[in-house]
Amino acid sequence: MKVIGKGLSCASKDEVTGELVYIQTVEDVINLFDTAEGKICLIEDAGTTTLGPILSDLTGIVCTTGSGGSHLAIVSREFDLPCIMNIDIDIEDLTQLNGKTGKISTEEDNAGILYLLN
Amino acid sequence: MNLNKYLNYVNFITRSTPDPALMGGKGSNLVKLAQIGVKVPPGFIVNVNSYKMFLEKSEYGEQIKELLRIDYKAKDVLPLSSNIKDLILRSGIPEGVLNEVKLSFEQIHENFGSEISFAVRSSASIEDSSQFSFAGQADTFLYNKSFDDVIKSIKECWASLFSPGAMLYLLQMRKKGIELSLLDIEMAVVVQEMINSHISSTLFTVNVLNNDKNSMYIISTWGLGETLANNIIVPDSLIIDRKDFKIMKEEIGKKKKKSIQNPERSGTIMVENDPFSRKSCSLNERQIQQICKLGLEIEDAFGSPQDIELAIENDIVYILQSRPITTLKI
Repeated sequence: MKVIGKGLSCASKDEVTGELVYIQTVEDVINLFDTAEGKICLIEDAGTTTLGPILSDLTGIVCTTGSGGSHLAIVSREFDLPCIMNIDIDIEDLTQLNGKTGKISTEEDNAGILYLLN
Repeated sequence: MNLNKYLNYVNFITRSTPDPALMGGKGSNLVKLAQIGVKVPPGFIVNVNSYKMFLEKSEYGEQIKELLRIDYKAKDVLPLSSNIKDLILRSGIPEGVLNEVKLSFEQIHENFGSEISFAVRSSASIEDSSQFSFAGQADTFLYNKSFDDVIKSIKECWASLFSPGAMLYLLQMRKKGIELSLLDIEMAVVVQEMINSHISSTLFTVNVLNNDKNSMYIISTWGLGETLANNIIVPDSLIIDRKDFKIMKEEIGKKKKKSIQNPERSGTIMVENDPFSRKSCSLNERQIQQICKLGLEIEDAFGSPQDIELAIENDIVYILQSRPITTLKI
């Protein structure tokens, strides 16, 4: 298990594990619509996110920009979902993480940590 | 003259009575904010009667309603959303509604000068509801200059009810056993004087990050506020003591870009912040104190912790929106 990123834990402080999926477009969300359960979504600074509709099925959210006041963080709190905003990930091409297993946990002072399990 | 009495499709933000069913959550809360005397940009609400009349009487109304009745699946969302939007944008607005919007537009120009632009924001009837948040699903259109720009943006707001994201939301609610048809949602539209925000902030009157009711949480950045709700930038973050408004924690965000008025036409553009601005906190201590004080007044008036969007232009603080925080675990 390896730490690959650290950011701001903005919603649930539960520790969760799930398959990492890189999301960029509304088409990605549509493709994930019926299989979102158990997934941790990775989002870059893509502007308006369309992830809202599937949030209640997801296991966690990780976003490279934003803050605790972003829409994504607000709805993550509504669904009591672990959500790390403004995460610094050590890997340049996040698509490499597609299909791998990740873990989210919260440390002191609302630090959200993303681990890679395999 | 209080025009409100004579209007069916429009309500002015001042001198109206809050009514979420008629004005949507955002519009109704703006009316309440104006009532309690905080500074809200002047403007009016094109209420849900306008939207209903539009579906009833516009030339493509029947075709639009036909599309809204379709029992769709996730894979149908993109083409269906685009067809609905296309029909809404092509349709004219019924005369009764158009006349009242025109009258209100002219009234604001008369009172506040003809050089002002307008911000047009959606205020859906199920937006910001406590059970499933539609917050941020619907759209905002900034810097509308002419009457035609405003009309186009009102139609864009109506169309945003059927954006791919909103349509997927409804499908998801169906999965959870909540049956809601596209025909059940209604939309009001808020039209207000555009504030040329030098600074945009959101204040949570309690700390939503860790549910601490003794502190408040502020995010803030340079320029217009659209960069805050969307994940475009990393804003400054402040944790403030609710008792004395002292800063408990300050983190300067990267704030690489800011959103400003498009100098050439309606709408906005993104530009880079200069290195000094990136490194400086977008709020000074005096502004923080002022915002926090306002926040507690608003919280008091609404009777629960609030998530408040603010804009600062020439050191004047305007409240753009206030909604309840529904996620606290205290």
